[in-house]
Amino acid sequence: MSKRSILAIVRQPALVLPSLIFPLFFAALGTSSFGRATALPGFPQVDSFLDFSLAGSVVQGVLFGSVTGGTALATDIELGFFDRLLATPTSRVSILLGRLAGAAAFGAAQALFFTVVLLPFGVSIKAGVAGVAVIVVSGALTAMAIGGFTAAMALRTGSSEAVQGSFPLLFIALFFSSAFFPRQNMDGAYKAVADANPISYLVEGIRGLTIEGFTAANVAKALLVPVGIGVASVALALRALRSRLAAR
Amino acid sequence: MSLHVDISLRLGTLDIEATLDVQPGEVVALLGPNGAGKSTTVRMLTTLLRPTAGRATVAGFDVATQANDVRRSIGVALQDAAIDPLMTGRELLDLQAVLYGIAPSAVRTRGDELLERVGLTAAADRRVGTYSGGMRRRLDLALSLIHQPTVLFLDEPTTGLDPMSRITLWEEVRRLNREGTTVLLTTQYLEEADQLADRVAIIDHGRIVREGTPTALKAEVGAPTLQVSVAADHVETARDVLARFGELRPTPEGTLGVGLSGGATVVTDVVRALDDAGAPVHHLELNEPSLDDVFAEATGYRLEGAGS
Repeated sequence: MSKRSILAIVRQPALVLPSLIFPLFFAALGTSSFGRATALPGFPQVDSFLDFSLAGSVVQGVLFGSVTGGTALATDIELGFFDRLLATPTSRVSILLGRLAGAAAFGAAQALFFTVVLLPFGVSIKAGVAGVAVIVVSGALTAMAIGGFTAAMALRTGSSEAVQGSFPLLFIALFFSSAFFPRQNMDGAYKAVADANPISYLVEGIRGLTIEGFTAANVAKALLVPVGIGVASVALALRALRSRLAAR
Repeated sequence: MSLHVDISLRLGTLDIEATLDVQPGEVVALLGPNGAGKSTTVRMLTTLLRPTAGRATVAGFDVATQANDVRRSIGVALQDAAIDPLMTGRELLDLQAVLYGIAPSAVRTRGDELLERVGLTAAADRRVGTYSGGMRRRLDLALSLIHQPTVLFLDEPTTGLDPMSRITLWEEVRRLNREGTTVLLTTQYLEEADQLADRVAIIDHGRIVREGTPTALKAEVGAPTLQVSVAADHVETARDVLARFGELRPTPEGTLGVGLSGGATVVTDVVRALDDAGAPVHHLELNEPSLDDVFAEATGYRLEGAGS
């Protein structure tokens, strides 16, 4: 099943290209427009705005990419492929986990893609190769965590349109985090939301690996935040799966 | 017994009660129009839908309590033939094997055999998105056979197919049956039921209204049907006249039908009587009983596309 999810991505480049191109576009736009923001008091110490942007790009790409997996699951339900799977003796849970494993593989690939593509433009990862490895694993875990939500939505609604409708929600979740700007330079309600938003801490973990180095705190944030979100989202997805099966 | 069914399902406006026994090696057709409850019955028997009451066993296993044993014993080709268009035929066969807990390498030969059987060897490595409707159905059949099931469910296997593809699929079903596979198929085509099935169960509004071998069912209807057309303003007169020769039967619009209780020999009497009553015959047709007549007699209407 995970192989199938990956095939679906490789064979429908038009579906996944936006989640690869837009974050790069944002990074380029940010670097050219906000380059001087790095001089603001409270802005993290960085060599370039691009160093700061990398974490945002990775998380943005993975978040948006995760909608694809949920949409594909909903399409399977709509078209009846899900029934084909259910008519076989395969474990119901493995149908879901296979999807999520596919999403994780794509998330890892995205994280690696952004890191490698931005390297020639001057990004440097202070945490070195080990840091890149953590970023890739974080990408996988984040994809699985957000994929859990989109899968839950797919199983609840059985509608690919509903799942695609979650895109603006993800955008808002990302926008109200420190993905594009440091929390230190935020104020008021915006800062309050960003402070409460787990995505802020995920981004800051990856960002810390990029601009500070390989520290236990950075690794913990990059890995444990998506694990925490993932536990909740996968539990939701499993519940949605159970109620879909019980309604038969 | 391959199948023992005594189930009912109430789900919203859906109300199904089905009783049916299928012996090993039989081909049984559930014949009925769209919305009669054929697919829903199949979904219950293939563990995709839980009956609200009653019990059904497939290959000796209870569909409700031994669902996984049922799934291992059956092959299922559902109506929509939902096949991932992005995958190739061979990849789907591999996936199907994995879903049944078989290593794809272990069924490589069987996969190749199946592809050859359904005539898809050349297309095996092409994406399913490029397949025609007939090719998809044939692939669907191959997929349903990867684990060598003893009971095969085919839900409207040829709906929407061109006549050639239909015949190819029929031949394959016959061959599978000769090899010992029990087949339960649903169809809205009378000819399909007539051609393939050892026994036909006519289903209408969620109830099995007739069941038997095609020959026995036709014999039950008995009398041949005389179908006549007369001028529009003579229809009422003609109806009265025809009623004297037997039971009126539903026939295509613009025609009248009667089951001739006196057999084919009374046709001339009917024509003469109509003439005498001032309703001369414009056109007439005598039909020996067909499954269509059985269906009409059982349900009070004819299946759309009858005889196609």
